[in-house]
Amino acid sequence: MRPTRKIRVLMGKPGLCGHDRGIVLVVMALRDAGMEVIYSGRHKSPETLVNIAIQEDVDVFGVSILSGGHMPLCRRIVELLKAKGAQDIAFLVGGFIPPEDIPELKAIGVREVFREGSTLEDIAECVEQIAKERVTA
Amino acid sequence: MDLSRITDFAPLDELESAETHWRQQYRDDIVAAEAENAACEDGIPLKILYGPSDNRSEFLTDIGFPGEFPFTRGLDPTGYRKKLWTISHYAGFGSPRETNALFRRMIEHGGVPPYMALDLPTQLGYDPDHPMAQNEVGLTGTAVASLRDWEIIFDGIDIEKTFVGTVINAPAAVFLAMHVVLAEKQGADLRKIRGNLQNDILKEFTARGNFIFPVEPSLRLVTDTLEYCAEHLPSYWPISVCGGHFPEAGANRVHEVAFAFADAFTYIEHAIARGVDIDAFASNMFFLMKTNHTDFLEEVAKFRVMRKIWAEHLREKYGAKKLETMKCKVLGHSGGSLLTRERPELNIARTTLACLAGVFGGIQLIGLRTMDELFGIPTEKAELIAIGTQHVVAYETALPQVVDPLGGSYCIEALTAEFEAKVLEELDHIARIGGMVKAIESGYVRKAIAADAYETHQAWQTGKKIKVGVNKFHIDEDEPPRRPYEFTPEAQQLQIEAVQQLRRERDNIRVECALDRLRDTAQRPACSDTNLMPPIIEAVRAYATIGEICGVLRSVFGEYAEPTNL
Repeated sequence: MRPTRKIRVLMGKPGLCGHDRGIVLVVMALRDAGMEVIYSGRHKSPETLVNIAIQEDVDVFGVSILSGGHMPLCRRIVELLKAKGAQDIAFLVGGFIPPEDIPELKAIGVREVFREGSTLEDIAECVEQIAKERVTA
Repeated sequence: MDLSRITDFAPLDELESAETHWRQQYRDDIVAAEAENAACEDGIPLKILYGPSDNRSEFLTDIGFPGEFPFTRGLDPTGYRKKLWTISHYAGFGSPRETNALFRRMIEHGGVPPYMALDLPTQLGYDPDHPMAQNEVGLTGTAVASLRDWEIIFDGIDIEKTFVGTVINAPAAVFLAMHVVLAEKQGADLRKIRGNLQNDILKEFTARGNFIFPVEPSLRLVTDTLEYCAEHLPSYWPISVCGGHFPEAGANRVHEVAFAFADAFTYIEHAIARGVDIDAFASNMFFLMKTNHTDFLEEVAKFRVMRKIWAEHLREKYGAKKLETMKCKVLGHSGGSLLTRERPELNIARTTLACLAGVFGGIQLIGLRTMDELFGIPTEKAELIAIGTQHVVAYETALPQVVDPLGGSYCIEALTAEFEAKVLEELDHIARIGGMVKAIESGYVRKAIAADAYETHQAWQTGKKIKVGVNKFHIDEDEPPRRPYEFTPEAQQLQIEAVQQLRRERDNIRVECALDRLRDTAQRPACSDTNLMPPIIEAVRAYATIGEICGVLRSVFGEYAEPTNL
């Protein structure tokens, strides 16, 4: 049996959008919930983020996008995760996401979408749930 | 304090004993009411009642009269009677050609062009065909890749007669250079050119996020623009110091003001060290702050405190001689982060109160967010409501007739003194940990803002702080439709083709020489002789692109690695 370890999470800011109040709150809340959280800092390319996710062996990889560029960025990240055989890392997105984009995001392989009204408790609970499923899978 | 010297009120000891008597009489009520602590977000307590004993200020030296040092009561002796605050608004646009059409229309109708919003690749020094620019070109504002785009934007517009404001920070020196070259081409007198760069790079590292180079070379670029403008463009405002981005990132009000001043003083100290005369540039600096409705009374006190601290520091610490240099000019915008998607019409009430806080605070410009901003690009109707709200405050309330109408209030003067003490304490703390550059690089500022943001967020989630329509008085309603920025691949392709065509058509040997000279200068230590403005101007004149110019500077200075130890 795999020894129990802390849930490992990468939180990333892909693209050029600099707004990070939301992602910083999520980082702090996940840490308060006892998880190991890596924050990438801003202006990271999808390639850089996917490489960090793999090197750091994370269970969950979340990104925050408020610029409106979430569709192409998420598509690229999912492609890269697949190309590198890391599709088992659960990929989540949060930010300024219009509700009508959610079905398409889920269809391409985004595990969960968090919009502006999501609470930190909801996010932490969801990340924990997903990580547990991954360990038992 | 001898109040009898300046008022006809009863002497202080008589008032104090009357207050003691009042407290005795209502003792049980007061004790019960005080059981729950009331305080502003930054911890400054709110008392049930303020009286003469709360005022520790010396009326004549600390508060004084409007138009006189230290300007606590206002910059001008007759306040808004002489000149109403500027009613500002925001506008967005697409390509350089569309921006030109919008500017021309606004000028024809007697208006001034709005502050120019730029897309993220431009703000981060990438050309439209750079891989990092993919899917971002033209998304949050105009895409400007070179002098050619600047020429298109101002085609048919006389820039000697037009104030041009640009929201640009990391590559601000390149935009100043484009404006200088365009002025020369139009035959304009540089000394008369008016306009403004945001150019406040320090808050990009800690709040807004559009940084390129490390802190010290970034400060060198700011100092170069300040020195260049002091010498050649005396009517141009080379920098607006932004405090308002801190509360939008979550900071409390003391941090908003302390970090803005710490940034401003850092720019001043660099310019003075370069040998620039304080009176030749500091009067062209101003502050872009939030005016918010929360902790309303403290917000009014904040603006009074800013004027006092600025005036005293500029005169005593930085040796300003001209009164104009000591005047703290404040532009205030209401904050989007305090608006709600739930019951969005209530945002009109919030921004009306935000406007009042700015007016009681005596600031120079007010801009209000639209009620629908949280749903994307504002509708025209919401824009007109935001401007109309200010018209109601300006023309129906008679508030502009009285200068500093809350001045002398026991409460406002007590909050002014307490807020000032808190800001000075934070400034001292920053000095003790090695100054603002260290405070940024060590992650101190980011951590402080994140802690404030977390505390506020928890207070909203637990209901300790109330957001009407969200955690109290909620009504189930359908959300209005969203109007997000629409990314158009065709528009991006046009910008990519335009910059590639430019690279084919221009004199590339001249571009290479100019970029080589820029690299050589950047590699030498910073001083007046190695001011980067002249080589940047030469590169711009040769139609080097923003990506190429910033690329050279990236190769010499490196890129900023932000602390992620939150």
